[in-house]
Formats: sequence, structure tokens, C-alpha cells
Amino acid sequence: MSQIIYIPDKPPIPPDQQPTVNVFAAVVEPKLINNLVRCLNRIAPLENLRHVKRVQKKHLEDGKTLIALILCLASENDSDMDAMPQDVQEIVTSYQLSAFITKVCKEAATTKEEWEEQCKLWPTSYHPPTYNIDGITGFNEEDTQSVFGFMRLAVELAQSNKLIVNAAVIVDPSAKKVIASACDHHVSSENASMSNAGGKIDFRNWLESVGSHLDSNGATIHGNLPSSASLKTLKQSCSTVSCLYPWQWTDQQLQHLSNSCCWHPLRHAAIAAIESSAARDRRLFPTSGTIGDKSVETDIGPFCNLAKRQKTNLENAKSEEKEGTDIEGICSKSGRPYLCTGYDIYLVWEPCIMCAMALVHQRVRRVFYAFPNPNDGALGSVHRLQGEKSLNHHYAVFRVVLHEDVL
Amino acid sequence: MDSSVEGCSSDTLVFMELAIRQAKLALNSLEVPVGSVIVEDGVVIATGRNRTNETRNATRHAEMEAIDILIEAWQRDGLSTSEVADKFSKCKLYVTCEPCIMCASALSILGIKEVYYGCANDKFGGCGSVLSLHLGSREAPSSSNGQGRGFKCTAGIMASEAVALFRSFYEQGNPNAPKPHRLLGNHQAGQ
Repeated sequence: MSQIIYIPDKPPIPPDQQPTVNVFAAVVEPKLINNLVRCLNRIAPLENLRHVKRVQKKHLEDGKTLIALILCLASENDSDMDAMPQDVQEIVTSYQLSAFITKVCKEAATTKEEWEEQCKLWPTSYHPPTYNIDGITGFNEEDTQSVFGFMRLAVELAQSNKLIVNAAVIVDPSAKKVIASACDHHVSSENASMSNAGGKIDFRNWLESVGSHLDSNGATIHGNLPSSASLKTLKQSCSTVSCLYPWQWTDQQLQHLSNSCCWHPLRHAAIAAIESSAARDRRLFPTSGTIGDKSVETDIGPFCNLAKRQKTNLENAKSEEKEGTDIEGICSKSGRPYLCTGYDIYLVWEPCIMCAMALVHQRVRRVFYAFPNPNDGALGSVHRLQGEKSLNHHYAVFRVVLHEDVL
Repeated sequence: MDSSVEGCSSDTLVFMELAIRQAKLALNSLEVPVGSVIVEDGVVIATGRNRTNETRNATRHAEMEAIDILIEAWQRDGLSTSEVADKFSKCKLYVTCEPCIMCASALSILGIKEVYYGCANDKFGGCGSVLSLHLGSREAPSSSNGQGRGFKCTAGIMASEAVALFRSFYEQGNPNAPKPHRLLGNHQAGQ
């Protein structure tokens, strides 16, 4: 069965193994709660633990209720009772509390299962994800078929070369239209790309050897590949896939290729597809690039906050994406999209870190890839760029597992 | 972010001054003001500035512009991939702002010798701020000979000049732009 697997922002951890931090807590009289909470929120706010509830109520067997309260963060050294700030210490003294150290979960729960485990330690609040990027909660049948279709297109594109390369297809999902597509240009394949005489590359081997060694989260299990001769051959032939072997562009023996004018060590499929979509943009909307009508790109520099405040765009520019809620606003009146906002990209292999960051810059909405990239994969295998909070744009990432029948 | 700024040679400042000049060119074209120069054997062999707006390609950072000039030139001269790699291994890049994750990775792929940058890039920086790609990749078990190469990185060269350019870029804003969001928010319900 073909399937679409969501690759989450954070590496999956078992719900009962979530990271914790130590806090000072104390059992308090119910009548003191309001006063203490108000006071502690002022002098020892739980800044990075907003999901953690300050108060814990425990119903005891004899019908009584025990109320405990977090005083402040504690050091990670379990026995260090001296680390309490002076003003908290004063409260402890004046109310004659007996402080103890306990553990609370460090990160907000992302699933109900995680939340239930968290509450066993100390109660937390749980807000199910509110983002509404299509697909995170499941694709409908039509969208699923469309996703498979575009991924097949990417695979076909990759197969149309003699060398095995990565391929990228940028798609406008609302119109189900291909915006741009490209293969790796980092090696010269000018001779190879002319014809397909060499026959199609059989991705079925790759699927069998690699595809079966994935866990349910789409992460590759390293060092567990069968060492069959066929796989070895396949791995060798895959050395021309740019994102798999980004540092090996010098090893590829292409020098003999006649006037190979088109190799470029950085022109991986995704980068080339972005270039192609930008060229299309300039071609279709040639006049909208004039000075008075310019959207100011704010991707670089430490002053993005300033930039946001003074967002200097005209009607053409789209405001900063708010968790995908304003997808309707992608297109301006002129129909010109802002970069690749609202577009999806289909890649045969998981992009390397360079390509993955390029897709952030270009504001791609969703990334679909067929095969993980254990060497430099940036979307789950080695890095997890979709989970880097500091970035100003985030896309959703999916792995598309194609059944061998469709390859 | 490996080395301190103190004691940086006058050459370093001269080259960074040239990168700043590139950033000013970007500013004059209403681009985010970042500039770079690439130096081989003490000679500037390429310059680049941000062109993301002009090209509508958000990957056209100053580093990429300078890199592409060299790759094109060296290919025209008939250099092979290994000769090009050899060239890059002797090059130093000077850039006014910390290379982003994409550019830092690109510089690692090319095997550049050394990078000097101005201000840090807290949101996107790939040389210490968000990721540390300049240290090389140690997490690539199955690419024994293809390990991500690191490069020497020196931060804080003329950082205040680089920051000043960003400020003037965002403060000059766009004369045609509507009033900033935050102010509008006070007056318009559900902006």
C-alpha cells in the first residue's frame, strides 16, 4: 500500500520518557492558594513552563484534598535545597512551608498520550495543535491520489536521466498544477539527459532495500541495510544523487564529459526548481518587480522583528504566514504569488540541509519526499529543520511511501 | 564564532570593508543589505550582494552570488570539478552577516577554507547561531569519505557597521508602505 506519513517537528519520544525539569513545590493550606499564587507569579514566574499548572490537587482516599504548589524552578542537582531565590525563601519561611523538589515535564504535550503521561508527574495543560495545514490530520481520497500522482511525476523525472539523480517538482496544490520541475544539475548529465536509451532506473530495488528499513516515523534505521551485491551496486549508482552525497561532487568522474558546461556543485534539484519557479514568476509578472511595487524580503539579518513591525509591502505582498491560516491570501490581485507561498514540493529523496533551508527561504508550504536520506537528510533523518523554532517560516513535511507497483 | 575579533589583521578589515560596500549596493537597490567578497591569495576574486527581491528567488544571498561568479568563470576556463574544489579550498569568504543555514551548508559542500563574518544571525545562522555547520558534520555514519567538511569561522568583524546597515534598511522602510501593523492594530478591530 502506498501511504503518506507525517514527519513531525520533533523526534518522536515515548510518552513516558519526556524530558523533565526540577521544581520546588510545597503542600499548602487551601485558603493560602490565591495569595501565594499571585505572589509567586510575580516573583518567580514559570516563564518557560507555561504548560505547567502552578497548583496540583490530589484527592486522597479519605476524601480530603491535598493541594501542592510550585514555588520556583530548582537546579538539576536533586539535593540542592539552597538554590532557592531569596524572595521565595522568605515566603517559605513566613508561611512555614516545607519545600520539596519534584519533576515536571519540560515541553508542552503535543499529543493526548503525552499529556496523560505528563499529568502523572504534575498537571499540565494541553492544547491540541491549532494549525490547519491540510493533511496533518489526514488527506482525503482526492488529495491522496493527487499527492501520489505528483510523487510519481517526480520519480519519473528522476528516472529520465541515465545517472540516478534527485528530482523536484513544485506544485500549486489549489490548481493541481506543476509550477516548476528540475533534476540535479550538480553533475553534468548533458549527454545522459538527451536520451533515455539506458533504460529506466529501477527504483524497486531501492524501495525494497531501503524502504523496508524504516520505522513508523519514517526515520531510517542506520547500519541495518542488507549487504547484498545488488544493493551495493545501487548505492554506488546513487552516488550521483546530490542530496545524498553533497560533499562528493568532486569524486564524480565527469571530467571526461565533453565541454560539460552545466555542472554546478550546489545546483541540487530543489535549488534548481526554485530557480525555475523564480524565472517563471519574473516571466509571468514582469512589471511587478519595480521599485514602487516591491515586497521586502526579510529573510536575512537579526532585525526581522523590526522588519515585521514595519512590514513594508504593498498590496502585492502577503503578510507573514500565520500558521497557515491565511492560505487564501496567497495570491495578490495580480495573481502573483509571494515566492512559493502556498506551493508544495515533491522530491524523490529527502533534501539535504542546504536544500531544506532554501525551501524555508522560498516559503514552500509542504515538502513531500519518497526516500529518506541517511547521510544529510534535513527533515527527520539527520537534522529536523521543520522543528527549528527560530526560523520565520515552517513547512509541513511528509514522506510518501510508494508501493512498488507504481514505481 | 571560533575566534575572537581582537587582533584581526588590517587585511581582514580591508576585505570586510569591501563586503560592506557590497551590502550598501544592496541597500541602494532596496535589497536586504548583505554583501560578500571571496579572496584567494590576498586578492579579491569575486563579490556578491543580496539579490533576493530582484530575482524573486529567496536563495540568492550574497554568498551564493559570489560563489556562482567563480563557478562560472572557472568552468569557462575549463577547470575540472577537482580543480574547482582545489580552488575553493584556498578561498576565504568575507560576509557582513553570519551565513544562513543554507549558505553555511553550501560553503561546507564547496570546501571553502575560511569564513569571516560581521554580525550574528539569530534566526537563520548556520555558523553557530542556530546550527553549527562550520564544525562539519559528524552525524553522517554512512558517508565515510563524504563527511561534511568544516571551515574556520571568525565572527564579529565590523559587526556594528553591518548592523547599522540593517537598521537603515528597516528604518528607511518603503515610502509607499502602509502604516506599520502594530499601530494599525490599535485602531482596527480584528486587523
